[in-house]
Amino acid sequence: MTSEYVATNAASSGISVDRKKLKSLGRRSDRPGLVWLAKWAVLMTAGVLAVHFTWGTPWAVLSMGFYAFVLTVPAYALSHETAHGTAFRTRWLNELMLWVSSFLYFGEPYHRRYAHTSHHTKTWHVGDDAQMPFDTPMTFGGWLSEQSGLLLFWYEGKIIVAHAFGIVGSEARRYTPEGEIRRLILGARLFLVGYVLVGAAIAAGQTWLLIYFVIPRVLGGPAMQFFTTIQHAELQENDPSIVKSTRSFAPSALNRFLYMNMNNHIEHHLYPQIPFYSLPDLHDVVKDQLPAPDPGLIRTNLELLGVVIRRSLGRNTKAPTIRQAPHMITSGGFEPIARASMR
Amino acid sequence: MTDWVYACAASDIDQEDLIRWDYHGKSYAIYNTERGFFATDGMCTHEAQHLEDGLVTGMVIECPLHQGRFDILTGKALSAPVCVDLQTYPVKVEAGRIYVKI
Ligand code: FES
Repeated sequence: MTSEYVATNAASSGISVDRKKLKSLGRRSDRPGLVWLAKWAVLMTAGVLAVHFTWGTPWAVLSMGFYAFVLTVPAYALSHETAHGTAFRTRWLNELMLWVSSFLYFGEPYHRRYAHTSHHTKTWHVGDDAQMPFDTPMTFGGWLSEQSGLLLFWYEGKIIVAHAFGIVGSEARRYTPEGEIRRLILGARLFLVGYVLVGAAIAAGQTWLLIYFVIPRVLGGPAMQFFTTIQHAELQENDPSIVKSTRSFAPSALNRFLYMNMNNHIEHHLYPQIPFYSLPDLHDVVKDQLPAPDPGLIRTNLELLGVVIRRSLGRNTKAPTIRQAPHMITSGGFEPIARASMR
Repeated sequence: MTDWVYACAASDIDQEDLIRWDYHGKSYAIYNTERGFFATDGMCTHEAQHLEDGLVTGMVIECPLHQGRFDILTGKALSAPVCVDLQTYPVKVEAGRIYVKI
């Protein structure tokens, strides 16, 4: 840690919830996760069928767009939730889903879990948070590279290859307990073998893997970024308050489902032990202590895009409605604060 | 030299829950579980997070910060990111009063 140890959570943010209430919200069950999985399976099946029956026609663009969206956003969300261990009460089910979803998402599960601990211990703290994906304040160039989704492949791919060859850098060693390094290496080897096998199968003519896995995952990257970029963009770095560093927003019911309620992102960082299915209830309990959520997915992203374009042009960076840290709002020019930790 | 020290009343801890107990500059966690009362160190072995806001499920305590899990009975670290076991302490209940041997 580069600064004194004060974990960023409800206590460091001055937020409190009645203990009994918190306990009841934290209760674990397999049912909501299984229902979520069943619904996801329905959407995925619809996507696969749509791609299958439109392949070779202009409609394939639409069906592939839909399939890429319903594959990638939930894969990310499930990988995140299972990395916390909160998706299912049954541990083996949680871990199985962590591996499956992380393979689809493209992040080795052990590393994903340990890197994410630093994101919760010191949320949005430069030098401590290993999951700051872009330089802050964000410029149009930063937005473009982040939004492409390709930087994530570069970052995760580099880690998988390096760890598979036994090379674990100082950053990963910082947030991974010494005794767990061998697991990072094992996980990376399994994933590398898995992805090499996928590549080999495609090269050998199994094109369905290209159509139903590789292409939609790459195309789904930008869609996923619309959810993740706004989690902390334009908010306060190096502050113990989650309220200042983190954004909740109010998307449509479909997007809330695909994202496993992580639009309640302030709530999640305040109380990471609360499972995804109880986040809406947690929101109701703490909403009087929090700022109102920013608008929906599209509006929030459009406002962010407007801000970063104007910042790059040296113009006023005040967003119409979304929350911004005071130093993000200037009438031209800015002081660089954070260098991305995911490169 | 260890001794039995009075910690709290049994009724102070809800069923399937824990409380924090500080004694002589050290912090402990005392649990009321389906199998009786137990005590462990209060701080998680992963980072400097107290377990008092953690979730007790059966005989498992889950850390509130990163959801690492320990067996309350043995202190064994059960799942990442915790990998160092938790120190446990003997507990006895007499006339509704909880004593911890430390
Ligand atoms: S501090 Fe307890 S699991 Fe990380």
